[in-house]
Amino acid sequence: MSLPNDLKITLSPQEVEFLTESEMITILPRYSMNKLELITDDIPKLMAMHRIQVPLWYALILKQQRKCSIVPPNWLNHKSLKEFFQSEVTELNQFSKLPHNWLELSKIFFENAADDLSDEPAKLKSLIQDLKELRLIKVKKGLSLINESHLQLDNLSILEINEIRPFVVEVMGKLTKLKQVITNEIDEDRLEDRDNDDDLME
Amino acid sequence: MSYYDIDDIIGDSQRLPCKFNTDAKGLGWLEGNPGKDMKSGTKLELPFWISEILAISTISSDSDITFIELLQPDALNKKVLNAIKTSSISLDLHSISTNYYSLVEKWAGLYNDEELVQVIGDMLKERSDEINNYAQNFKGNQQESGFLYSLDEFEKKLYKITHESYKNLKKWLNNQ
Repeated sequence: MSLPNDLKITLSPQEVEFLTESEMITILPRYSMNKLELITDDIPKLMAMHRIQVPLWYALILKQQRKCSIVPPNWLNHKSLKEFFQSEVTELNQFSKLPHNWLELSKIFFENAADDLSDEPAKLKSLIQDLKELRLIKVKKGLSLINESHLQLDNLSILEINEIRPFVVEVMGKLTKLKQVITNEIDEDRLEDRDNDDDLME
Repeated sequence: MSYYDIDDIIGDSQRLPCKFNTDAKGLGWLEGNPGKDMKSGTKLELPFWISEILAISTISSDSDITFIELLQPDALNKKVLNAIKTSSISLDLHSISTNYYSLVEKWAGLYNDEELVQVIGDMLKERSDEINNYAQNFKGNQQESGFLYSLDEFEKKLYKITHESYKNLKKWLNNQ
């Protein structure tokens, strides 16, 4: 009950970032290390200069100690982002197929592994920013179609859904409540009709 | 609705105009006439929680007359509804009623007023879209706008949580 309201109705961006950190990512270790058996995950044996998949949080620890370089995902470069941006501009009625964690992942990369990116981080950053704003405008357009039962926005990432969740839930809740006032009444009428029918049968 | 929902409690205590169909003994003080009886035909504003009951219960078991008759509140008359239909965004909802949506819910529930729900539903869609626009502005409530002052309690809450959500993401993106 004492939880702040914004934590009760949706996940905070920090929580989403935390969830993303348990996803797998490819790294290129600079040292060899034996296998680690942890309670939730097993960290496989690392061999120097052999690509391997590890959880993102582990990759970040190694990166901080300069023991590996992280391989950026195939969409996090100037060319792909530019393509996503293009498709975002040309296809006005749908969102481009960015991965569900593009915002978190790109932020983590910019902050912790900027030197592993193949292009200039500042350029990528501004592209990400542009994508974010462009998509937000589309979201706004989609939200004007809101009704009490249904809202479909495909290819939206977790953070973007999170951002609009409080608004959408509240408005749809109110619309449902308004509609219910009427439908309840009708249901009651039907029930009464049925009762009357039963009486007749007897 | 929850028992502890303060908005529901406030909504329940909104006053509705109603007309007495019967003499009420010793209730003259309600109309500033202490010690006297209240005549039938007197018009009074009573809170929703009691007018709702009195409007459906009959004086005695063998008569059709109810204690009071509900009159249409000003907030729901033709003039206001027409104003809503023409331009819901420029309407000052807060001055019409601070808990407009809960009033509509209760009234529409009593009279099964489908048209009213339709009109108010459309208004909510239009106004919420505008609220969303304002919520994205990071100046918050320092923006100079009459619109934010015209929100009713539900819309205020909506504005607040929406604004909070946009602000949180922005903060996180900027590492603040």
